[in-house]
Amino acid sequence: MAKAEKIEHVGLARVLGPAHVWALGVGIVLVGEYMGWNFAVGKGGAYAALMACWFAGILYTCVAMIDSEVTSTVAAAGGQYTQAKHIVGPLMAFNVGLYLVFAYTMLEAANAITVGFLVDTVATMSGHQGGVDQRPFIILSIMFLAWLNYRGVLATLTFNLVITAIAFTAVVVLFLTTAGIFGAGPLRHADLLSGQAALPYGWLGVLASMHFGLWFYLGIEGTTQAAEEVRSPARALPFGTLAGVMTLAIAATLTWYVCAGLMPWEYLGQSGVPLFDAARLSGSYGLMVFLGIGTLFATLASANGCINDASRAWFAMGRDRYLPGWFGAVHPKYRTPYRSIIFLVPIALIFALGAPLDQVVTFSILSGLLEYTFMPLNIILFRRKWPLDTIKRGYEHPFHPLPAMVLLGLCGLAFFAVFLGYGTQLVAMIAFYIVVSLWFHFWRYRFVNRGAQFTMPWPKPRGY
Amino acid sequence: MDLWDYLELAAWAASALFGLFIVIDWIRTDSTYDEEFLTSSREGELEALTEEQHRG
Amino acid sequence: MTRYQAPVQGKVGQVIDVIVLLIMAIGALYIPLWMGMAGSSKVPQPVTDPTWESLGQNAVMVEQWQKLGFADAASASEMITARFDYSFSIGALVAMIVVIVGYYAILLRFSEKEYREVIAEKFGE
Repeated sequence: MAKAEKIEHVGLARVLGPAHVWALGVGIVLVGEYMGWNFAVGKGGAYAALMACWFAGILYTCVAMIDSEVTSTVAAAGGQYTQAKHIVGPLMAFNVGLYLVFAYTMLEAANAITVGFLVDTVATMSGHQGGVDQRPFIILSIMFLAWLNYRGVLATLTFNLVITAIAFTAVVVLFLTTAGIFGAGPLRHADLLSGQAALPYGWLGVLASMHFGLWFYLGIEGTTQAAEEVRSPARALPFGTLAGVMTLAIAATLTWYVCAGLMPWEYLGQSGVPLFDAARLSGSYGLMVFLGIGTLFATLASANGCINDASRAWFAMGRDRYLPGWFGAVHPKYRTPYRSIIFLVPIALIFALGAPLDQVVTFSILSGLLEYTFMPLNIILFRRKWPLDTIKRGYEHPFHPLPAMVLLGLCGLAFFAVFLGYGTQLVAMIAFYIVVSLWFHFWRYRFVNRGAQFTMPWPKPRGY
Repeated sequence: MDLWDYLELAAWAASALFGLFIVIDWIRTDSTYDEEFLTSSREGELEALTEEQHRG
Repeated sequence: MTRYQAPVQGKVGQVIDVIVLLIMAIGALYIPLWMGMAGSSKVPQPVTDPTWESLGQNAVMVEQWQKLGFADAASASEMITARFDYSFSIGALVAMIVVIVGYYAILLRFSEKEYREVIAEKFGE
């Protein structure tokens, strides 16, 4: 890199390994097991949530396979944004970039809200009268993580690796101590899931819970944002991403099993911190403390990863002049996209302090969903424009185009599920993207150089 | 005032501190370095550099 | 062919573009909230003199409710009886499908147009 500095150049630093990629992917998502997924229980009952969890698992396996193939060839910050730019076209790239920034910034806001809620819960349990003001804790979590991100990516993601591992261990320990492997456990699935509690909304409820079923995994695709900072992207990215999906499928199922065996679905479906509640019900003080810490760490790890990913996407768009070029700056000492990090702090605060949790979660899920709908289009065009023999891929996903078709179908189901509860937001959101697309196409795109934005050393695409 | 009231105050203070650090460093960085240099990062340049090194 | 030379955007223009984008984004997210159309809150169905039996709770469920801090049926009844309303009209469903498909159609069409330009310049003669 000394050479890079001599020629008056500053770029992001290539310092990360596969474990960091895993920590970035799982770290963002694991919080989903600590809060948010249980709204799926509220939408259709506990069995519906389990089915939604598995369908979402299939959806995300497709996402991870498709994403791994494309990203093992397109290794640049911005991830799916850069993929879209090279494969589908600039307007699609602009939209995808915004999906990324919104999905992650909203998720970051949701995490900060949860930190505030957790502090309040702990304060009340410790006998504090009148509740605490949650705002300073919400602001502190965002400011601290922004500062950490500002100071450099290696420390940020090493921090994430440690706290994610602790949060994951907490889920496993909770399962092992309550599952009854070592004698009679406290779980009561048969009684809690009998009668009306089995499928309270019928099969429509199963569909409806797909909405929050995505929350079990949302954000795992963010691993690609690290592409420009990973030492060997072609190997580390597919490995970290696929290992991440497997970790999450395990964690999601364990979480469901413990929570559904401890809480009536009506309570579970609206709980703010379900795993912490489960630990409280297990009757062990030690477990309760451990899961409380796990909840805090999971939310921090997630917010941390979100700041990392959202700022990379925003930075990449600024660098290409899709957004004002001012955002395309890299900090000469810390080697981070510092202006993008700063800019997104107040945005996250506006939503963390001003909107209710389930709405923020829905905005995040919707942006994610639009992004997953783009992925099948992306891979179909990728294989058509550059068949397998034209560029060498670090990873080739099997059974093409089956995963793309399955993914498209599941996205359709998820859109319907969102429509059932949040139709207005869905339409408002898409109206926003249509308006913003027109703004980009007719105004903003004039500041973008045409040929120069295609930076991959690929041959000319077929059919052009 | 009990422990939690003090924690609230501490959280406000720490937030301000982190915010202050970021803003001060931001202003200092922007005024020390040339804008051209700060925004000199280009997509795909790292690949190009590595390839150059392999060849050279 | 001639290469497209993008104009350099001034500071003021950059700031205006960011503000425009922010207003659109925050508007899209907050307008449904302000208009009270951000539906999907549960509708509680009040029950007079609820008992655990009339709420359909069995012995184990009651035990867990009590551990969670709900001492009697009355305190938990609102949470237990609240239900989402999943009814929808076919018209609204069709409208949603049209909006989503239309959106992706616009996206792909304009992208393709811009993409041809990019490829022509990048691999151009």
